Amino acid sequence: MSNLVFSSVNKIFGSGSSRYVALKNIDFEANSGELILVVGPSGSGKTTFLTIAGGLQTPTSGNVKLNNKTITKLNKREQTQLRLHKIGFVLQSYNLVPFLSVKEQFDLVDKVKKNNASAQELDQLLEDLDIVSLKEKYPNQLSGGQKQRVAIARALYTDPEYILADEPTAALDTERSSEVMRLLKELAHKRNKVIIVVTHDMRLKNNADKIYQIIDGKMSLISENL
Amino acid sequence: MFLAIKEIWYEKLRYSLVMALIFLVSYLLIILTGLSSGLANLNKSAVNEWGAKTIVLDKDSEGRLAQSFLSNQTIKSTNGTALSQYSSIVKSKKGLKENSTIIAVPKNSFVYNNLIVLNGKNFTSNGTALVSDIFKKNGFKIGDTLYLNNSTVKLRIVGFTPHATLSATPVVYTSFTTIRPLNRGTINAILTVKSKIRQPKNAMVLSVEQFINKLPGYSAQKTTFNFMIGFLYIIIFIVISIFLYILTIQKLPNYGVLKAQGIPTKFLTLNTVSQSLIISIIGVLAAILLGFATTILIPSEVPIVINAFNIVSTSIGVILMSLFGSIIPIYQIAKVDPYKVIGG
Ligand SMILES: Nc1ncnc2c1ncn2[C@@H]1O[C@H](COP(=O)(O)OP(=O)(O)OP(=O)(O)O)[C@@H](O)[C@H]1O
Ligand SMILES: [Mg+2]
Repeated sequence: MSNLVFSSVNKIFGSGSSRYVALKNIDFEANSGELILVVGPSGSGKTTFLTIAGGLQTPTSGNVKLNNKTITKLNKREQTQLRLHKIGFVLQSYNLVPFLSVKEQFDLVDKVKKNNASAQELDQLLEDLDIVSLKEKYPNQLSGGQKQRVAIARALYTDPEYILADEPTAALDTERSSEVMRLLKELAHKRNKVIIVVTHDMRLKNNADKIYQIIDGKMSLISENL
Repeated sequence: MFLAIKEIWYEKLRYSLVMALIFLVSYLLIILTGLSSGLANLNKSAVNEWGAKTIVLDKDSEGRLAQSFLSNQTIKSTNGTALSQYSSIVKSKKGLKENSTIIAVPKNSFVYNNLIVLNGKNFTSNGTALVSDIFKKNGFKIGDTLYLNNSTVKLRIVGFTPHATLSATPVVYTSFTTIRPLNRGTINAILTVKSKIRQPKNAMVLSVEQFINKLPGYSAQKTTFNFMIGFLYIIIFIVISIFLYILTIQKLPNYGVLKAQGIPTKFLTLNTVSQSLIISIIGVLAAILLGFATTILIPSEVPIVINAFNIVSTSIGVILMSLFGSIIPIYQIAKVDPYKVIGG
């Protein structure tokens, strides 16, 4: 069972007059099999939340536990290893290496980690995301939405326990974004992943198991589909 | 290596331009290093052939063979091989001319025995000479008579010897008696095979290295070349640094995301190191090939020496500089905070 727990997490940027509280006293829990949506206006702290969850930033105070291990206590190398093996990140931009073809984006992962998706599984994944014909293309030959879907495939390729996605559907049309959400939901439910999707796209809300809202750094549960 | 090669392939133009630059600078390095050794050899090669360790000269000679006139007292009190020198233009009947240094040493001395004979034989009777193979290249033959300017002294070539140049002139080896009419029996130096000897009165004792460094113009030439060569290495360092620095800056957000995805920093920095190695190795290899081609194509008067030592030292130098050049980019990659670059 995978689970991610935030207890009383605060994140403060700067100090003195430039002091800014980006996250206020956040308690949060996500478990295997859940697709969680985190919504909120721009600048409310969504990316900050997601990067703390993935160990890219440390909270100013409070505790973050991943599989019952406090990730804030890990050193840089251990954090990198954790992200490589357990977390699939889809970030807001720069997800793809510009000089690698779509196919090679996955080869790169094989260079640093074993036991990734097989060639067939990868083809299936690309098929599901409707990008199988783009394998030989380079990022600058792809549309924004195509890039985003490659980035999603890239995050899923390592079969991570956690998938943390920041605005993964921002560049997708309604049809494509519900397609992506359907895929993520299936992964959460059938493969028991923890999936956290940060977005301000309210079209996605029907697919989520839980929806949290962040406003001015404060997080609250606003809906739960049981 | 994977990323390095893919990126070079993807950015062919950029990378070919830097490789071309490194190639050109390395070529210049090889030519300059080759010229430096070649000219140094022209100045000193005869001295190395003698096989001496120390040289005794007149104390007021400033280390110059031509300015050194040893007293009888010094000659008597020093164990070693006496040596006389006389500079003159020598001519053949056919009108061939050569500005040369005539050296006299005793027969069967260690210096005499160290001289390599390529063709013919060493000088024996008075009036015979073993001469530098440069004479041969320039058309002189065994049996030719050499006439000296403003003198009745004649020499007959009996053999050719390699590596026989001193202060950029070919050497003519002969007996003391032969040149007595020219220098009235002056002894300019005494050579010994001991690395340390007692200093005779009114004399200076130099090691062979010190003697070579005091050859006219030798040190100045070496310093000039070393300065230019050093500068070229610095240029290589700066070129590689700037190039990789700019490329790295452009890719920093991607490196940040790759780190966020758990790609180890070491994997990313190795990419940069491999690139700098690939660039410098290709550049230097091409330069070595062109360097060899150059020595084959240019006239033999240009004294460029491309030997294993020059090739190895230049290659190591260029590769080291390029490795130093990747230090700043490596530092950039290592310190990039994934969170900072992904933003949003
Ligand atoms: N390194 C930082 N230093 C100072 N302030 C920061 C820093 N990073 C983020 N912030 C501030 O924290 C707040 C939350 O930022 P965050 O990136 O989490 O917003 P977001 O909800 O992801 O917005 P968006 O929807 O536009 O992506 C913002 O007001 C931002 O200005
Ligand atoms: Mg954001």
